[in-house]
Amino acid sequence: MDNQHDVKIVTHMQNDYSVIIENVTFGYDEDRPILKNVSLKIRQGSIVAIMGGSGCGKTTLLRLISGQIKPQTGSVTVLNHNISSMPNRDILHLRKRMGMLFQFGALFTDMSVYENVAFSLKEHTNLPECLIKKIVAMKLNAVGLFGTENMMPQELSGGMARRIALARSMALDPELMMYDEPFTGLDPISLNVSAMLINKLSNALNQTSILVTHDIESSFKIVDYIYFMADGAITSQGTPEQIRNTDNLAVRQFVDGEINGPFRFDYPAKLDYSKYLEGYYK
Amino acid sequence: MNKMIYIIATIGKPFADLILYAGGMLNLLIEIIFSLPYSILRLNLILKEIYFSGVKSIVIIAVSGWFVGMVLGLQGYNTLERFGSVTMLGSVAALSLLRELGPVLTAILFASRAGSGMTAEIGLMKATEQIEAMSVMAVSPIKRIVAPKFIGGIIAVPLLAALFNTAGIIGSYFVGVTLLRLDQGSFWSQMQDSVDLHYDVINGVIKSAVFGAVVTLIAVYQGFVAKPTAEGVSNATTKTVVSSALTVLALDFILTALMF
Repeated sequence: MDNQHDVKIVTHMQNDYSVIIENVTFGYDEDRPILKNVSLKIRQGSIVAIMGGSGCGKTTLLRLISGQIKPQTGSVTVLNHNISSMPNRDILHLRKRMGMLFQFGALFTDMSVYENVAFSLKEHTNLPECLIKKIVAMKLNAVGLFGTENMMPQELSGGMARRIALARSMALDPELMMYDEPFTGLDPISLNVSAMLINKLSNALNQTSILVTHDIESSFKIVDYIYFMADGAITSQGTPEQIRNTDNLAVRQFVDGEINGPFRFDYPAKLDYSKYLEGYYK
Repeated sequence: MNKMIYIIATIGKPFADLILYAGGMLNLLIEIIFSLPYSILRLNLILKEIYFSGVKSIVIIAVSGWFVGMVLGLQGYNTLERFGSVTMLGSVAALSLLRELGPVLTAILFASRAGSGMTAEIGLMKATEQIEAMSVMAVSPIKRIVAPKFIGGIIAVPLLAALFNTAGIIGSYFVGVTLLRLDQGSFWSQMQDSVDLHYDVINGVIKSAVFGAVVTLIAVYQGFVAKPTAEGVSNATTKTVVSSALTVLALDFILTALMF
């Protein structure tokens, strides 16, 4: 399992990389790093999952790729632009080529479904309203929600809101899509439909997709490569098959859902629980 | 020695916080000013903000103005009667409202009604990742959300102050002329004689526009720095109302000293 994954399944895959992260360190506080010397490369057109326990730095990595935060050391190159040294105005421009699906959709609650999906199109293009209407209808149809144009986000179920958010993030046909926990809180049908949609849209648009997820079964069906993170570093990587058969204890514990292993489930309390109940501590 | 450090830290922290707060606001103001050329062209967004912060505040402003005017009429009549100058009531009411009460009370009411709403809206948008989503969609939240609110506030507050003044004058007329039988000719003619368009009315409008800008700036800043929790948003709305009221009153003193 080398650092540059050699996935052979996507025939139209080009040789260049959509994302290159090299020796990145980042922390919100100086003395508490969240990412420690992280390096990874993501090929254009591939679907990659970033996995790991809660709080291991997966979402922070997505925020670095989207340019919302900048690394303290190292470099982040996205779509052939080194965004670690780019001014914010240029990053904003580059983001027109990216899309992001947030964990809970993040739909604009004061706008209808139509206005949400049409938002990027209205902000970044001069397309006539009649054409925007057609594009919105196409995007909604792609996520199976054509006919919901006039509904407000409050009227949608969690799964529907996520699919509308997917349609919104796809409005400009981005080259790079980021999904933050796309499968969390979905019923089995919505979950399968979402996984199928991500796969279908990614292949149809030759789009690079990065999934931050905990869902092993659904993501293993669609991803080409997996980066496994623990405590702010990439501890393991490989194809779904390689990850399933790995002997890395942390990955095994995560994949098998075991309580005992390198990942601690219990908070490392300073006091002894039994003694605490006996009133040992004053 | 430790006690000394503790005392210095205790005294210094509020000052340090105040400097950080002022610096944050100034930073936001500069960003807004740079966004104005883009946002001023988005008339639909500005009109939407004027509707939400201005039109929807009409009732509270008109009713408050009416009652303030009635109180002015009653107090003014009682006081002026002692000096045999009740005919000056129209002049007293108009000048009090145009120069001070109109701009100040409108700004405070605006902060309570619209300012707190702006803070809650931005705070909740932040909590539900809507601000982040907008930013990731390559749309600047300052240009799209904040600047239109700022322009809307500058336009809405002077208009609301004009409404407040009108309602107040009608209220004092109602008490002075209708209830206390003051001659209506004296009421209006004294008002006409003493009120100067540039000196009183225009200065009042300038004050209102400044208050509108300050209140909106405080409201959007508090929304942006609010902790993304229910308690955080609640605290931020309270801070908006309290900070706005204190800032408006302090600024009113400075503007009055400069203008009149």
